[in-house]
Amino acid sequence: MEPSNTEITRRHFMSVAIAAISSFIGAAVGLPGIAYIIGPALKKETEDWVSLGAISKVEPGSPTLFKTTIERQTGWITDQEEVSAYVLTEDGQNYVAMSNICTHLGCRVRWIAEQERFFCPCHNGVFGKDGSVISGPPPRPLDRFETKVDNGVLFIRRG
Amino acid sequence: MTTRLGDWLDERFDWRKVWAAIFLRKIPHVNWLYTLGSATLFVAGLQIVTGILLTLYYVPTPDHAYDSVVYITTQVTAGWFIRGLHHWGASAMVILTVLHLLRTFFYGAYKFPREVTWLSGVFLLLVVVGFGFTGYLLPWDQKAYWATTVGTRIAGVAPGIGDAILRIARGGEELSAVTLARFFGAHVWVLPAALLTLLVIHLYLIIRIGITAVPGRDE
Repeated sequence: MEPSNTEITRRHFMSVAIAAISSFIGAAVGLPGIAYIIGPALKKETEDWVSLGAISKVEPGSPTLFKTTIERQTGWITDQEEVSAYVLTEDGQNYVAMSNICTHLGCRVRWIAEQERFFCPCHNGVFGKDGSVISGPPPRPLDRFETKVDNGVLFIRRG
Repeated sequence: MTTRLGDWLDERFDWRKVWAAIFLRKIPHVNWLYTLGSATLFVAGLQIVTGILLTLYYVPTPDHAYDSVVYITTQVTAGWFIRGLHHWGASAMVILTVLHLLRTFFYGAYKFPREVTWLSGVFLLLVVVGFGFTGYLLPWDQKAYWATTVGTRIAGVAPGIGDAILRIARGGEELSAVTLARFFGAHVWVLPAALLTLLVIHLYLIIRIGITAVPGRDE
């Protein structure tokens, strides 16, 4: 039996209608679903000045580790987060604050005073006093924070 | 292009036959009440998708459950929408499942040879109610806490085994972190596994046996 034209049209119409409605419902749930998944990743962290401590603690010529904790809102939890920076001054006037996070894969570097080097324990990255790469896999020098000194207190800007 | 891909796949696992068996089967002339099962299936799919999304942020412990739900509702992009769909979808599931059962009952569609389809459907209704009961506790707000207190206490008045049921449901004497954790586990693992197993049986039988016609006076 040869299907008549009207039957083909009807079936075709139904297929298109079902596909259209399905796509609409899929988009109505799918697009908010994607936004829901990636939403927190798109949230920018607020930049802020963090006080590290008295500037007098910095020994000229040797990177000094400053540690401080700040409150941070992560998801529904208010958390204490440790912020660390190595602060270096050569002349007692200009201060450089370096992140202690290795630029390779994010382990924490440590200043070994005897060797005048920063060492990263994970993959043997070695940085000089000013944060420049001396050997190993790190692709760039240690990151630096913007600094300011106010009333003898050193601040860094994190964000 | 799509036809060629379709042919390539068809040569390998004969999917067109499966497609035809599922979607191109002959059905009797029926009315809109026969769409209640499909509607239930659709909402179940929606509940699965939105439920999986909710677990991305929800944490089933007393110190985080409520806060994580508030976070989903007020902070996460479209979180209110995903949670809203899951919330209203839950009510829709119970209503649709019951209406579907009533249609099947009043049309006599549970009779030979469809007794097993009916039976699997009855268990599916129990699973749906179980989803509702366990899911209701998860926001861990006052309403959830006291509703579950009352709900488990009701189970507790069953003669003889009541106290055992209450203790097993709560995971102890009182509602606690243990209760919340086991309700969550039941809601996202035990019940979905039961739902999918029963659903496969239910749908297989519907396709294998076919659906009933609207009963007539002469039959």
